[in-house]
Amino acid sequence: MFYKWHVGSIAWILHRLSGVLIAFYLVLHIWVMSFLQKGPESFERVMHLLEHPLFKLLEIGLLGVVVYHSLNGIRLMVLDLGYGMAHQKKMFLAVVAVGIVLFVLGAIPLYPF
Amino acid sequence: MEITFKILRFDPDKDKKSYYRKYTVKVEPGMTVLDGLNEIKWRLDGTLAFRRSCRSAICGSCAMTINGVNRLACNSQTLALKRKTIVVEPLRRFPVIKDLIVDMDPFFEKIAIIKPYLIAHSRGGSRERLQSPEDRKLLDEAVTCILCGACTSSCPSYWYNKNYLGPASLFKAYRFIFDSRDEGTEERLGIISDRDGLWRCHSIFNCVEACPKSLNPTYAIAELKKKIVTTKL
Repeated sequence: MFYKWHVGSIAWILHRLSGVLIAFYLVLHIWVMSFLQKGPESFERVMHLLEHPLFKLLEIGLLGVVVYHSLNGIRLMVLDLGYGMAHQKKMFLAVVAVGIVLFVLGAIPLYPF
Repeated sequence: MEITFKILRFDPDKDKKSYYRKYTVKVEPGMTVLDGLNEIKWRLDGTLAFRRSCRSAICGSCAMTINGVNRLACNSQTLALKRKTIVVEPLRRFPVIKDLIVDMDPFFEKIAIIKPYLIAHSRGGSRERLQSPEDRKLLDEAVTCILCGACTSSCPSYWYNKNYLGPASLFKAYRFIFDSRDEGTEERLGIISDRDGLWRCHSIFNCVEACPKSLNPTYAIAELKKKIVTTKL
């Protein structure tokens, strides 16, 4: 039987997953930027490719991932400083609530359709 | 009311792998999971092995995983679990000796690592070493730990790395480091500030959810992290 998921462990696994995704994005980003070396033309071509709606949708996904990782990162730092220990679950709910607001506000201008 | 106990069993003499076995027990209000296990052992199947002693949540012998959460069998009311089937498993990541009995040696070895005794270089007087009520208050939670292992066995960091000291050991370290009479702080901080020490705590809070005494090892670990950072600065 699986060990029961609690708020803290859900926050932790999402933090890990988003961290891995951000690291993966960083590599991808550096790879895209490496086309700068190959002259303005090849860079233009890559940038044109990235105009595709699919990449815009992926960017919206990236926004969600970054927003969660940063807000929960703040939650973890506050907890590591010994504050709000008794309220860690409420703090997670705050992370989710503020995160959704920031995500929606940021996703609207990125939405390609 | 009839409740099914689904118990993860393993006999090293007979079984290659552990397996679940079901028992149906008639449960009355007030019956704990431990009462249910006793009922099974005494009337249905004498081969079932589990540890128990005080049946009042102070000895820490009957910690096990009940419906996916670590608890003490003796202070878990069967009816309060609100399930027709109660799944009982040994504490995970601890080596199983037989059925629900796990080898606690690795757990107690990690308690021993942090030197769980008073270190005092200065000579004591002819009387006991006194402490102010405020200083004693810092230790209230830490001295309540019954060393049942529910926290360490619930910790994902421990599942991943068996060398991690774990919440119980770090909680014990806190108990001495924050004791105004103790003089071994530097020594102990050196021990726990290790790659297998407190930096493996990722504030997941499973230990807090699991603790049958409602203690907060994560808070103690955060205080220790702070102590290390402030002494190193």
